[in-house]
This record gives sequence, structure tokens and C-alpha cells, in this order.
Amino acid sequence: MWSTRVALAATAALAIGLTGACGDGDSAGKATGAGQGGFTVPKIAARQSLGAGEGRVNLVAWAGYAEDGSNDKKVDWVHPFEKQTGCKVNTKIAGTSDEMVTLMRTGEYDAVSASGDASLRLIASGTVAPVNTALVPNYADVFPGLKLKPWNSVNGVAYGIPHGRGANLLMWRSDKVRPAPTSWGAVFDANSPYKGKVTGYDSPIYIADAALYLMSSRPELGIKNPYALDQKQFDAAVALLKTQRGLIGEYWSDYTKEVQAFKSGDSVLGTTWQVIANLAKAEKAPVEVALPKEGSTGWSDTWMVGAKAKNPNCAYKWMDWIVSPKANAQVAEWFGEAPANARACGLTADRKFCDTFHATDETYFSKVRFWTTPIAQCLDGRKDVKCVDYSKWTQAWTTIKG
Amino acid sequence: MDDDQGLTAVAAARPAPGPRRRAAAVLHRRPRLRLTLLLSAPLAWLVPGYLGALAAIFLTAFWTTDTFTGEVVHQYTLANFQTLWDEPVYRTIALRSVGVAAAVTLIDMAIGLPMAFAMAKVVRPRRRPYLVVAVLAPLWAPYLVKAYAWRVMLAHGGLADEVLGPFGLSGPGYGLTATVLVLAYLWLPYMILPVYTGLERLPDSLLDASGDLGARPLRTLRAVVLPMVFPSLVAGSVFTFSLSLGDYITVKIVGGRTQLLGNVVYDNVGAANNLPFAAAVATIPVVVMLAYLAAARRTGALREL
Amino acid sequence: MSVSAVRIRDLRKGFGAVEAVAGVDLDIGDGEFFSMLGPSGSGKTTVLRLIAGFERPTAGTVELAGRDVTSLPPFERDVNTVFQDYALFPHLDVLRNVEYGLKVRRVPRAERRARAREALRGVRLEGMEARRPAELSGGQRQRVALARALVNEPRVLLLDEPLGALDLRLREEMQAELKAIQRRAGITFVFVTHDQEEALTLSDRVAVMDRGRIEQVGTPAQLYERPATAFVAGFVGTSNRVGDVRVRPEKLQVDGLDGVGTERGPGQGDRHALGTVADLVYAGALTRVHVDLESGERVVALRQNLAASDDMPHRPGDRVRVRWHSAHEFRVADAGRGDAAEAAPAS
Repeated sequence: MWSTRVALAATAALAIGLTGACGDGDSAGKATGAGQGGFTVPKIAARQSLGAGEGRVNLVAWAGYAEDGSNDKKVDWVHPFEKQTGCKVNTKIAGTSDEMVTLMRTGEYDAVSASGDASLRLIASGTVAPVNTALVPNYADVFPGLKLKPWNSVNGVAYGIPHGRGANLLMWRSDKVRPAPTSWGAVFDANSPYKGKVTGYDSPIYIADAALYLMSSRPELGIKNPYALDQKQFDAAVALLKTQRGLIGEYWSDYTKEVQAFKSGDSVLGTTWQVIANLAKAEKAPVEVALPKEGSTGWSDTWMVGAKAKNPNCAYKWMDWIVSPKANAQVAEWFGEAPANARACGLTADRKFCDTFHATDETYFSKVRFWTTPIAQCLDGRKDVKCVDYSKWTQAWTTIKG
Repeated sequence: MDDDQGLTAVAAARPAPGPRRRAAAVLHRRPRLRLTLLLSAPLAWLVPGYLGALAAIFLTAFWTTDTFTGEVVHQYTLANFQTLWDEPVYRTIALRSVGVAAAVTLIDMAIGLPMAFAMAKVVRPRRRPYLVVAVLAPLWAPYLVKAYAWRVMLAHGGLADEVLGPFGLSGPGYGLTATVLVLAYLWLPYMILPVYTGLERLPDSLLDASGDLGARPLRTLRAVVLPMVFPSLVAGSVFTFSLSLGDYITVKIVGGRTQLLGNVVYDNVGAANNLPFAAAVATIPVVVMLAYLAAARRTGALREL
Repeated sequence: MSVSAVRIRDLRKGFGAVEAVAGVDLDIGDGEFFSMLGPSGSGKTTVLRLIAGFERPTAGTVELAGRDVTSLPPFERDVNTVFQDYALFPHLDVLRNVEYGLKVRRVPRAERRARAREALRGVRLEGMEARRPAELSGGQRQRVALARALVNEPRVLLLDEPLGALDLRLREEMQAELKAIQRRAGITFVFVTHDQEEALTLSDRVAVMDRGRIEQVGTPAQLYERPATAFVAGFVGTSNRVGDVRVRPEKLQVDGLDGVGTERGPGQGDRHALGTVADLVYAGALTRVHVDLESGERVVALRQNLAASDDMPHRPGDRVRVRWHSAHEFRVADAGRGDAAEAAPAS
């Protein structure tokens, strides 16, 4: 009884919804205090040892994360895995973080490649279990800058194996935009000469980009973390984006669209990923990219194991495989992101790949604020205010686009 | 031995009618039972699968989503509709969407009517099937491919700019105009086909008669053709209007920064995982369409569908 | 000499490889009831449509009252048409159908209403003004179509098998009515039909068409009594071939060799042939007597049933003498084509 009351009180005080902890009566007793974000984490034990493989593993993954040669014959790290471990891989491609959350909650999948805007939700709802990194030999070679981060751990307990990372960069047409921009101010300047040719990422999470810029341009707002915005800070970010809307030609949400827009010159300036810049250059579009002086937002994906995984041994084998130097080099190169395994850099087909993607450049990534789900209690540790949660971000995003 | 027994059994059964025959006889005598049996399968699909889904949408609209875990909270509230009503942006988007749907419908009528007329009345009957195929052919290409093709054509320095360039004009670029243009292209067959069918049923002699009585072609169009294909036009417009009202992909590809109701629904279902709010937004096109259908019904056009 | 209401010269119309009208010349007089008679596919309807202007000829000219209208559209020709399917506008009521032509020609509302009502009275449809065509019977629709055309007072009225869809009684009624209307209005009628009896009873003159050509133009009596071609002989009534001449069935007299059944005594100029009765077909007012002549030809004779049917003097198998008067013999230019046995049955 007592623990149930505590859990309920914690819920009310923190004003966040909890499913695993208090939605189900039977798991309420298992609730054990708050994570660093302040939310309650269901107590689920990590595995202490591994058994024999179950013969199969069911994955939820981003497109390009589990290639079996069906898209490109030469791009295949699934079949070698199957051959080596005897675990047959069954992959479900998810389009959004929310789809991943929904799929994992069915309990039918063993592992997921969650981004930072999904991982915390999976942890809090008890959908995924902590990961015993000792059972993943290749974890040792993962860049320290990716280990035990807020989006893949709680209270120093690892909940997954880092897969790779990338930054949301500033891209521009070098023939149209002069001088070369060095600040995000270029995409937020109300008097921009590139009005109607600026592009932005079409997702509520793009509000964080505005917040990131406000951190340096309006320090008086006191933004410490672009994913932890109180109402006032949030309103300022939204106002900035509403001004920016006048400059926007179009928002982008997929590769091909942005590559084509920069190639034709419909967009000349805006946010991008390294891989898109590479593709655009490959198509002879005169573009340049940079990490602006304010730093940037970015993503870091994590392989997590389902709490109710039916094939946990194969799931662990897969996690170890995907961060093994060779496979990690392949997936990073195919998807266009910095690999998680430091030794992967020696095995990429393109010798300069890790340099291009700044894989070993911790100073570079220290400026990158990886995507995290904004929740009501501020992720930056503030207790005196409530932060604006992700559903409000979504509705605001609609308002911004008008 | 087995064969013999089989034959004997058949022979013995012959005098009494078989169960299939008896059932047929019962059905013949009871038309109501016949109708029930005939409709039971489609109704079994229609009621739960179709109306049920619609009801579920409506019901869901009164729930909310737990913002963190993404689970639906089954507690009745008008909060979603309150947000829809209070935020002027949703009204703007709803009006914009209806405007786009109306513009697309008008354009498709303006293009579809003469096209359908040429197909049904001008071209020789033997060549008509080819034209019907030509009109239908774009429907076989994937929607996305067509939308992207338009994206390339409307790009800066693309085909649209090149064609209009000599006249001192430039293409519309990405935006509302492009959205209307591409949607009008995508849904045109849905307008042409019902109008074509309607015109095909219009006897040629009526057109001859009108001319015979002294009417010039435009007069014939206004006084005979239009009133007679009006129901078909309305039927076609039901397609173009509702398809435009629900679209969210075209506008994402060529709409620039424009967003329509479909995008709001998509963003809330996909990115935000806020199914209840998406359902609340989705009731707007449903209500608009019901009003449209009610208006169409009064013209008698639904009989053409 | 006055100008013809319709004058056609070397009119041709091809549809693809098919020549529907293959060189037609016609002169139709003012106020004439003129019929075009022929089987389906003979080109008669196409000629009508060429006169109305619904089709453009491949070659040749059409003149209306001396004016060359060959290249004019229908709405600039002073003719009106009654269509085979009536072609009433289903979305308009009877009155609006009838006043359509007047409205198009901007006749003031009051006047066109009055004229439309007058026209409807003329076809005995007063009180039907507010009905839709769908609510009318076939005969009523036919009369609305007639009123709709006549109200415009055209110089020429074109009628495309207007009675084709009506049942026999209504048909006969409408035939009489048509004739009366034509006399009253004094309008030239060009009447297309495949029914030879209709053409013969109604018309002042008839053009018989076959395969896109006119076979013969003449009064009903000329066509019947002096058919110019085998086709006309076969299509207009039936005829028997006896040697190298032809005789109409009602002109044949069948006598028993013993004189039984003789209706008319032998006279000067009689011709005869011997044969055997093959069959007797009772047809109400008449009986058809089929006789196999010794020459191998089969002829049909008509015998009025003046007495009761069981009084018929001949039986199949009887030897008989078939007799006719030489004045009733005729010859056709293209003997060998068409024959009683293969043409439309006699009534």
C-alpha cells in the first residue's frame, strides 16, 4: 500500500503519465524511485549471463540499420550475422520514433534501434530492459562520448548499446550564399536575402534548433538544454520559428526531397544531415556544410532489448554484432552517420569516412545536443518550473507552420 | 464393391429432393430470407469494418493521449475539440483545405467536362476504349512517383519555368498553387470517368435535336448537356473534393511550407502519436463531406455514384 | 418553274471504307409529302441527316429553297427534324420542349408560350404542358416531338422513321394524323421509312433506296405497277417471275383444269401456264396460293376470301391453270436480282 501511494504521489507531483509503473496495478509495487529526469523507472533486471541462441531475433529498426542485401547486394551485414550466430533475423522497419514505441509495446520484438526521442519513453514504460554491457564484448570499443548518456541510461544504468551518431548541420549553396554562414542566425534572420529559399526540418523536434540558437543569441532566457524549455523559453522559440516561417520555402522531412531542392536551387540555405550533403555533392550540387558556432542538435541511436523479449540471447548477439568494427563501419557508411565503435574507422570503404563524419572528434560532438523527448519535468534538472512536453511541441509545430 | 454401394445410395436418394434443392425451394418461397442471406456478408464487413471504424474515430476524439508513454487515456473530455476551436490556426487550416478541395474540383470540372465530351461524343466509338485507357493510365503509376515528377517539373529552373519563361513568366514554385495544380492532375480521372459515363448515356440525338432547333454549340452545352450531366459532375466532384480534402502527401512534396488538414492528422498520428487529437481533426473533413453529400443528394447526383 | 424545296446533287457520304450514300440526286417539290423507302443500311437515314446538317457530305451539294446549305451547320438550316427516338429533352417539361426552338431564336416569352400551346393543341396534347417526357406514352411523345418541330414553322420537316416505335393501331392512327397535319400546314415532308405500305399510303412520291443509291423515284402507283428494278419490284410489294416477265400476285388467276374456282372468264390478251398447287396459306382477307409451274418456277397468287375458308376450290396437289393479262406484265432493267420469294412478304 505504502509504495503504491508513493508512486501515485510521485506521479501527481511530477505530472507525467506513467504506464508501466502505475497504469498496471501489479507493477506498481516494483517501482523504485526516480530516474535522473525525475520519472519513475520500473525495476527490471538486466541479464547476468547469456545462453544459447534461440535461432531467431525480431528487430524494430530504422531503414538502413539492418540491411540484408535486398537494397544493394554489397550491403549486407545480416546474412553474415545469421551465418555466424544461427539467429535468423526478422526486421520490421519503423518510420518514426512513435511507431517504434508502439511496435515495441506489443512485446513481439526483441530489440529496437531507438532514437533519443523514443528511448526514455521505452525505459519509463518498462518496455525495454537494462543492458548488461559486460555481455556485449564490442561495447568496450564504443566511443566514451556515447556511453551512459541521458538518452541511453538512467542513474548510471545502461539501457542500450550506442549505434552511431550524427549532427543536424547547416547547409548552403556556395554559389548563391555569400559569405559562407557560420551561425544559425543565417536561417533565423528576419531580413535574410534568401527569403523563400530557406529550409527547415519538418518535425516538432526542430523547435529545439530554435532553442539552441536562442541559448547564445538571447542568453537572458536562460535556456540550458534545448529539450527542456519552460513556457517562456518555449514561447520565445516558437516566436522565432514563426518569424522564420516567412523565410521558409519548404520544410523537408526526407532525403530525396532536400537533395533535389538544393540541386535545383529551390532551397539554398538550411538544416541538413551529413549524408544529404554527401548525396547533393554527388549530384554535383555546389553545397557546403558546417557545424555553426552555436553547435547543433543531432541524433544518437541506441539498440535496446525488449523487457519481454522472447529471444534475448539472439538480441544480445545482434547488439554485439551491430557495434562490431566491421558491421558498425558498414552500417555507418550505408546510413551516413558517425559509427559508435572506434575501431570501425579503420574498416570503412572510404578511408576518410570517419573524418567526414567527425566520428573521432569529441570536441565536435560536444557541441551537439542529441535529440531527447521533451517531458513535463525539465530535463535540465530544474524543479521550480514545469517544462513544455512533446505533445505541446507537436501542436505548436502546427501553429508555426500556420 | 464400393462403387456398387455408392450407386445404390444415389439411386435410393433420388425420389426425395436433395438438401440443396430443398434449400433452394425454401429460398424461392421466402424473398426476405433470400435478401438477408445475400446481404449478410457485405453487412458483416460494412457495419463493424466500415461504420465501426468511423464510430471508433469519433469516439477516440473524446479521449486524450498520455504525452510521455503515448498511451491513450480512456477518459471522456472535450479538450481536443476545445483546442481545435480555440486555436485560430486550425480554423485557418480547415478553411484552406476546403478552399484547395473546391479549387481542385472546379479545375477538374473545367478540364474534365470538355475532355469527357470529346471522348463520349466527338471521337469515333472504336477509338473510345483507347482514350479511356489513356485517361486511366496515370492511375497505374504510383502516386508518389507522379507527385515527385511534378516536384521536379515545378522546381526552380524546371520544366514549368522553361515553358513559361518565353512569356516572361515563371512557374508557381512550391506552395498552395502547386498543391492545387498537382491535386487537380492526380484526381482528374475521377472526374472524367463519371462525366464520360454520364455523357455516353446522353443520346446523340438530343444534341442533334438541339442544333436542329437552332441552338449553337454553346447554347446546347448550357441548355442540354450541362443540365443532363450535372449529376455526373456532382458525382465526380464528390471524388475530387473528398480526395483533396484528405490529401497530405502531395502538399508535403510540392506544397512548400503549406499544411492542410491531412498534414495535421498525419503529424498527430505519426510524429506526436496523439491519436485522439488526430481523430478530432479528422472529424472536420468528415463533417464537411457529410454536408457536401447532403447538398449533392438534393441534386439527385448520388444516383450516379 | 418554281425552285425545289430540297435539291440534292451527287450527294456522297463515306464512313471509313463504307460508302453509306453513293451518289444521290433528288428534287423534292414545295409542299410535297416525299418518302425515302429502303431496308436498313440503304442510306436513307444518312440522306436525311445530310439534309438536316448533322453530317457533312464527302461530296455533292444540298440546296434548300435554292440556297446551297452544304457547309452550313444544322442551326442555320430552315429545316426541323422528328427523330426516331423523338429526342425529347428529358429534363424539360412538355411545354419547354416545344418552345425550345422559339426560345433559342429569342421569340418573346408571351408569344412563344402562345405558339407552343397552339402547337400542342394541334397534336391534341392540351393539358400535358407540365408533364415530363418520361411521364408520357410513346404516342404522346411522338406528338410532342412533332409539335416541337412544327412550332418553328420550318420550310421542310424531316421525319426519321417517326412511327417505328409505335404499335400497329397507334401507327395507323398517327399515319392519318401526319397526313392531315401535312396538308393543313402545307409544309414539305421528307419521310424516312422501311415500311413500304406506310410509304405508299402517305406519300405523294417515294424514292426507293438500296445500298446508298436511289433505285427509283415515283408515285406509289408508278412504283408498284412499273417497278424499274428487280429490287423495287421485290421491296415494294411482291412479284412473280414467269419466264422473262413479272406479274403481281393479285393479278394471277388460278383456275381448275375442270373450270372449278374460276373468278373471271377468259378474255383477250390472257396468258396462262400450267402447274400444281403446292400450298395454301390462309391470311384472313386473302389466301395465298403457291403454285409450282411446269416451267419449274414457283408463283404465288392471291385469292380474296369471298366465301368461307372451307369453300376453297383448290387443294394441294391439284392441277391448275394460272392465268393473267398481258397488260399486267412488267419487265425490270436488271432481271435476276430480287424476287417475290426473297423479298418482304405481301400483305
